[in-house]
Amino acid sequence: MKIVLKIALLFGLLLAMAWHYQSSDVYKQYLWAEADQTFQVEKVKNCDVVYTSASSNFSQAAHDNDMRKISQMMEAQLNEKSVEAFNIPGSHAGTHKLLLKLIPENSRIKTAVVTVNMRSFGLDWRYSELETPQNKRNVMYAKRPALLNRFLVSLNAYDNKSPIEREQEKLDLWETTPLPFEAPRSNVKQWFEVEKWGDWRQPKRQLADQFIKQYAFVLDDENPRIKDFEAITTLCKERDWKLVFHILPENIERTVELVDKDLADLMQQNAAWFTNKFEAEGITVVNNISLLPDSCFTDRDFPTEHYNDLGRMAIAKEIAKAI
Amino acid sequence: MVFNSLAFLLFLPTVLLVYFMLPHKFRWVLLLIASYFFYGFWKIEYLSLILFSTVVDFSVSQFLNKTTDQTKRKLALGVSLFTNLGLLFFFKYFNWFLDDVANPMGIIPDNALNYWHSNFQFLLPVGISFYTFQTLGYTIDVYYKKAIPEKNFFKFALFVSYFPQLVAGPIERFSNLQSQLFAKHKFTYKNLQHGGRFILYGLFIKMCVADNIANVVDAVFNDIGAHSSLALFATMLLFGLQIFSDFHGYSLIAIGTAQLFGVHLMTNFNAPYTATSIREFWSRWHISLSTWFRDYLFIPLGGSRVSSIRWIANILIIFIVSGFWHGANFTFLAWGAIHGVTYILEKYTWNKTASENHFIQFSRWLLTMAIVFAAWVFFRADSMEQAISFLSKMISSQTGESLSNFPPILIAFIGLLLLSDWVFKDSNIHLWMNQQKFATRWFIYAIMIYSILGFAGTVNHPFIYFQF
Repeated sequence: MKIVLKIALLFGLLLAMAWHYQSSDVYKQYLWAEADQTFQVEKVKNCDVVYTSASSNFSQAAHDNDMRKISQMMEAQLNEKSVEAFNIPGSHAGTHKLLLKLIPENSRIKTAVVTVNMRSFGLDWRYSELETPQNKRNVMYAKRPALLNRFLVSLNAYDNKSPIEREQEKLDLWETTPLPFEAPRSNVKQWFEVEKWGDWRQPKRQLADQFIKQYAFVLDDENPRIKDFEAITTLCKERDWKLVFHILPENIERTVELVDKDLADLMQQNAAWFTNKFEAEGITVVNNISLLPDSCFTDRDFPTEHYNDLGRMAIAKEIAKAI
Repeated sequence: MVFNSLAFLLFLPTVLLVYFMLPHKFRWVLLLIASYFFYGFWKIEYLSLILFSTVVDFSVSQFLNKTTDQTKRKLALGVSLFTNLGLLFFFKYFNWFLDDVANPMGIIPDNALNYWHSNFQFLLPVGISFYTFQTLGYTIDVYYKKAIPEKNFFKFALFVSYFPQLVAGPIERFSNLQSQLFAKHKFTYKNLQHGGRFILYGLFIKMCVADNIANVVDAVFNDIGAHSSLALFATMLLFGLQIFSDFHGYSLIAIGTAQLFGVHLMTNFNAPYTATSIREFWSRWHISLSTWFRDYLFIPLGGSRVSSIRWIANILIIFIVSGFWHGANFTFLAWGAIHGVTYILEKYTWNKTASENHFIQFSRWLLTMAIVFAAWVFFRADSMEQAISFLSKMISSQTGESLSNFPPILIAFIGLLLLSDWVFKDSNIHLWMNQQKFATRWFIYAIMIYSILGFAGTVNHPFIYFQF
């Protein structure tokens, strides 16, 4: 009996602690530092369209005439509908899934527009050292009591492999994962060892290698990001939201110039596979992968989804049409 | 598997539950399986090393038990020493030896060194220094007929791999563990309370004190030149508290975990920062290692019953070997040497009769702490250059940045650590708690639990002693 009372007391204490922590300034300060998009939920729940994205949403070019985000340009196209965005640089569907879950069920939202970054399916991103801080942030975004989330962070209860471990796993997979081409392009490791623009010290060669590392993969159902998109689909169906996946434009022109047409075709095949898979489930997919010319991409030293104002406007218009 | 992980928080109750549900004769088998699972959780490849060490020492001990021929016995002991120390040397010191000794001396050319590093990469197996010393101690005990060898290989394997103290001690003696591991234990509330208190306090000082300090210390050591002398001084003190709370925290969790199963492990720390001499410090700090060196190195070297010169040499050997045991770097040798030299100087300069005087006691405490904390800089630094740069900048009135990443609540945590360490001196949290009223006990539990849940450090800092 004495033990039962003590267990009950412990349970009561834990509940009191959870309540106190949730309402404390310490928790709010921690969220501002580590998971600030939690506060965005208040804005998002009162809009018509929620837009989830990473750095692709923003202006990245100083000479842009129009500095608005894609989500803001989209709102302008949609007349009466209000749009709010979740923005976390370097994020992907794994995080977007958690952010959408944070929105209360009684929100005003009718439509969710979820960004699909093709690079986020690739090994280079999945095994990037940036994934560890991303996974850590995701713990705080999970819909659980705040105190439990905080405790799980301090227990390192997330995929927190070291950069060396991630690098090794990635190198192994680049060597063992087959590509649908003849040697020496039958896997990533062989492919980027092919001399095209001089040796590895040449900047153009380095950039070409990056395109291969980012886009040379075959998308399938086993990809963990696909599972995240499936989870988003299930959530939106439960909430009765219209779901729009929009595939971000990639620099196809530059891919052909730096590597070859085969890689560009592979990128488009992956985008088509994604489109077919989710359209079959009744989801609207806006396939913008080939939408923009090279001139709309702002970064010249790495393949990214950072666009100038013309590019962002073109994307916003395509999404608005689908909504 | 680390103690402050979700995996361990699931693993421990599961093993505990199954242990007490099983008939007595199967319980040690469960512990063996659990211990191998616990160790293999890091890397399955590590199991082959611990198994190899177990096979060698089991075979040697059986041979030592059967033969009376002194030459053969010495040879067998040599095999054990060579194997265990050889493993330790290869995994822990070989790369350091190539990089910092053989290559600078011209024994190994640069191209051979590069070939070695690019083709042979070995990770230091977690806890190798601890379990090799534990098995070595066993074989030496059998050699001197202080222990009767275990005849069952698997029971011996459990002694080597017993999970609560496998990776960072306390380094146990066979005579202490054998009788307890295979005894019939009952699940009692007293053991649960005893072990639970140790685990809770251990988690508190590891996760709230050590892990929060680690962020502050790491930031300073990453850029010593940018920080003010005052910040460097504070960092020196903070690292002393970090390593204490990190390692003491680990030891408490280990002792508490074993206690849940009815096994009593030796105390590893007893208020070391209250010591008024280096000699006393070492009777309070990492006690299981200090006593191991005393029994298996200092006494075989002749101990104290030798000439003064020989005694000085013995003390220096003990401390330098102890420093080197911690890691393959000249910084650890320097750390050991500082302690060794101070230990010797104390013996010949400090007047024993004056030790009752409070002022002298305080002065000695201050001096002891100054040496201990300054020596920690060598322990923490990546190189001798970094340690010397840190200490020289610390005493040179350098201006610069103050401490960053310092959460205000850390002051309260450090205060609690120092207060509790003083209160628990020559005792422990369990005994002290037994004397408190119900409300006081639960107030303390609540503070520790809330601190762990809501205010623990959030950067991944493995236990410092895992690297040894």
